[in-house]
Amino acid sequence: MPDVVPTREIFRNFSFLLQLIFYIFSIVGMAIFCYGFYKRFRKYCRGRPAYRFNNLGKRIMRAMSIMARNSTIFKQDVYAGLAHFLIFLGFVFLFIGTVIVFIDHDMLRFLGFHLLRGSFYLIFSLVLDVWGVLFLIGLLMMMIRRGFLRPPQLDYARVDRKEGEYQRSGYRVDDWIFFGLLFVIGITGFLIEGFRIAADRLAFEVWSPAGWLIANITDSFGLVSWANSLHAYTWWFHAIVVMVFIASIPFSKAMHIILDFVNLAFTDELAARRLPRIPEEAMKKGMGYQIIEDFTWKELLDFDSCTKCGRCHDACPACASGTPLSPRDLILDLRTYADSTIGLNEWVGQRLDGDSKWPAGKTEGVTVAGDVISPETLWACTTCMACIEACPVGIEHLTSIVQMRRRLVDEGKMDSMLQDSLMNVGDYGNSFGQPERMRGTWTQGLDFAVKDVRKEAAEYLWFVGDYASFDPRLQDISRTVARVLSKAGIDFGLLYDGEKNAGNDVRRVGEEGLFEMLVEDNIAVLQKAKFKEIFTTDPHSFNTIKNEYPEFGGGYSIYHYTGLLAKLIDEGKIKFSRKLHHRITYHDPCYLGRYNKEVDAPRRVLEALGVGLYEMPRCGTNTFCCGAGGGRIWMDDSDIEERPSEMRIKEALALGDIDYFVVACPKDFTMYSDAVKTSGNEGKIEVKDIIQLVEEAL
Amino acid sequence: MNIIVPIKQVTDLVEELEVDASGKDLNREWLKYKINEFDDHALEEALCLKEESGANVMAIALDSADIEKSLYTAAAKGADKLIKVTGDFGEAIPSHVAAKALANVLESLEYDLILTGVQAADDRDGQVAVLLAHYLGLPHVSVVTGVNLQDGKAIVHKEYSGGLMGEFEVDLPGVLGIQAARQTPRYAPVSRVRQAMRSTELEEMPAGDVSVAVGTTVQRMFKPETSDGAQMIEGSAEDVANQILNILSERGLKQ
Repeated sequence: MPDVVPTREIFRNFSFLLQLIFYIFSIVGMAIFCYGFYKRFRKYCRGRPAYRFNNLGKRIMRAMSIMARNSTIFKQDVYAGLAHFLIFLGFVFLFIGTVIVFIDHDMLRFLGFHLLRGSFYLIFSLVLDVWGVLFLIGLLMMMIRRGFLRPPQLDYARVDRKEGEYQRSGYRVDDWIFFGLLFVIGITGFLIEGFRIAADRLAFEVWSPAGWLIANITDSFGLVSWANSLHAYTWWFHAIVVMVFIASIPFSKAMHIILDFVNLAFTDELAARRLPRIPEEAMKKGMGYQIIEDFTWKELLDFDSCTKCGRCHDACPACASGTPLSPRDLILDLRTYADSTIGLNEWVGQRLDGDSKWPAGKTEGVTVAGDVISPETLWACTTCMACIEACPVGIEHLTSIVQMRRRLVDEGKMDSMLQDSLMNVGDYGNSFGQPERMRGTWTQGLDFAVKDVRKEAAEYLWFVGDYASFDPRLQDISRTVARVLSKAGIDFGLLYDGEKNAGNDVRRVGEEGLFEMLVEDNIAVLQKAKFKEIFTTDPHSFNTIKNEYPEFGGGYSIYHYTGLLAKLIDEGKIKFSRKLHHRITYHDPCYLGRYNKEVDAPRRVLEALGVGLYEMPRCGTNTFCCGAGGGRIWMDDSDIEERPSEMRIKEALALGDIDYFVVACPKDFTMYSDAVKTSGNEGKIEVKDIIQLVEEAL
Repeated sequence: MNIIVPIKQVTDLVEELEVDASGKDLNREWLKYKINEFDDHALEEALCLKEESGANVMAIALDSADIEKSLYTAAAKGADKLIKVTGDFGEAIPSHVAAKALANVLESLEYDLILTGVQAADDRDGQVAVLLAHYLGLPHVSVVTGVNLQDGKAIVHKEYSGGLMGEFEVDLPGVLGIQAARQTPRYAPVSRVRQAMRSTELEEMPAGDVSVAVGTTVQRMFKPETSDGAQMIEGSAEDVANQILNILSERGLKQ
């Protein structure tokens, strides 16, 4: 039929009244949608300010790039990534298709212009049909994943409450309503098309292959005479489901469609690496967050952005070791609380039934750090950043956790061991409670003198850190570093008793005032010292000096010693006399591998040594915490079910016959040496600092 | 309710102690000082009473090395007022002088309860609370572990040896020597200490006449002297017994 121009009528066989009803219906759906997001927007406006408006173009491009590729969802989970990618792109194409219909029918029509006709219509039909099918395949994959595969991270069971003390069936209902609505919308869309094609049988409609197939099925059931009325019923059913879906978006899991792009755009690239300072004004009211409005708008947006994918829950060492902390539940509890007090509740959410003390909807006398989130939960965090790394939607869990910890510190609600450590740091500049002048005494075991950079110039200033300076087991390793560098002819010196704890973990504990004091003291000494660059053996010090000191006026070029070693090997300043043949695995320190993405330098050193490197499943930026970070090393860990360090040793042993568990962090050395003993694996694997292997190969 | 907490500084044992050339005092050149632990408990108990039933807590101390830091820390923890008593005390202030100086100053202040540490690690004298009560003519209980305020009286617990406890009713105003607060002394966040330094006034008051008989003086200060050590005797019971007999005979202790 060459004289028929391919197109279709939008309101096929509809009277004016029916069309009017449809428009009224659409407006109601859209109004509920707008109201919901207006309430959410109002909620964010009640939060504290957070400056995230710099480089707006770059931010949007970054978010677009992540979204277009679904890269953060593909990471670590190809199945979920693919399923989401199909649903996402299918949704995008169907959405664009609907917008084109709207523009064509409700705008261009009045200008006497008709877009959806001819070959454009045919291509439009084909593309939408194909993506419609892929959309349904993606949904089916997700339903199979949730219904049958059931990966552990999708289990909504809480780690801090017993079954019956909370009600989360709402979350599952929400998930299935979301799938259900999208699936019904997709299926009914195809049915409408099929019934229309069955009724009219225009040859060009083969460009809608799925619709054509349904038309053929309609035929084979002998329903052609019913096709027109079936079309009308399914059309209305489809329209109603679509409007219900649109109205539900701001109140359900579907809100992530809108919010998560925004959240990704406003993510701080230095989140957790550089914690926020406390403004002078806020400090007067005491440190940290007390009420829900103390959270910034970005943090309130974080809470709403969570899709409950459970990746942080799965990655968290505190969660794995049986503490009450699950980063997912922390975020969801804050959402439930924020919605119940300053927002609008989700249509179906969680309830904390058995806990009459949990302050849903209450603000009077309620502190977020303590009542909404328990102190035990907050203190369990090792600040390893696995949650932020795992989160596909840019949630910055750690910032909220530290802000709430600040409040606990301000109110003095803390473990007595931690209190003693903080007082030691305050009084003596180190957590060991040792006199300041003892900091450099480990150098006495060397047969050469190490420069004091406060008195004579050196190329490198070595920031040693507390553990490597004071722990007797680690002093030996510090001396090894000194010997290796001395043999390589490197000009380096120390601050001796001028050095204080760098403050990285003090800050992550939430003792911001003490952190500021340490930074000021250290910078004052560094300003007077004579050196070109800094290197440190401690990844924790590395992080804070690199990322946080600049805000306090201390901008320095700093290496982690593995970076310096790699550089010296490249430059030929360190030469090995023999190759090593050990079978080893390397543990990336959180503050080096994940925080600062330095995963290559240590591996370059290992490669130069010739050792056989066997990677653990969790390596590189996906490393697993030893459990010592964020001040955990200063707290009582006797209530932990299984220490993360012990789990990690098992992970290494599962690789088979491994000689050495190689570390590049003083705290790791003590944590894993202990873990080898406490897990009963002495003799099976030995913990070595990378510098010990370097010395062996010299 | 006005509670006054006299505090003092003691040497921080993190540094090795040395006796000075006179042989009667510590070499104070490199010493660090910190609040006397028992005074910290007295302050904690006062702050707990303040939180429980409302009170005005005042920390007071004689001028000495690093005392400002401890006073501001008290303010950071919740003390409402700080007083530094000035005068020419020297470095090791005898209890009699300290008590007299405090009593002189307290005469011009209003108070209902005075809580101070039962003793201090430096002189182990334990007399300031007693003497202060004497100078002010007030009732006094020592080695107190718990304070309850009821109808203008203080119900206090006193710890005796052998696990015995005594309960006393003390008319107010009164002086209590605190052994331990009801909870571990709280942490003072550095930001609050710094804020206290900026915003809390440290009032200075002169000690007045403190010429009182001190009663005791330090004759000699020395580190514990050790003997040559022990000799281990090994072997069977009979051998050991014989060896002991030999040793006793050698030293002329056996007849």
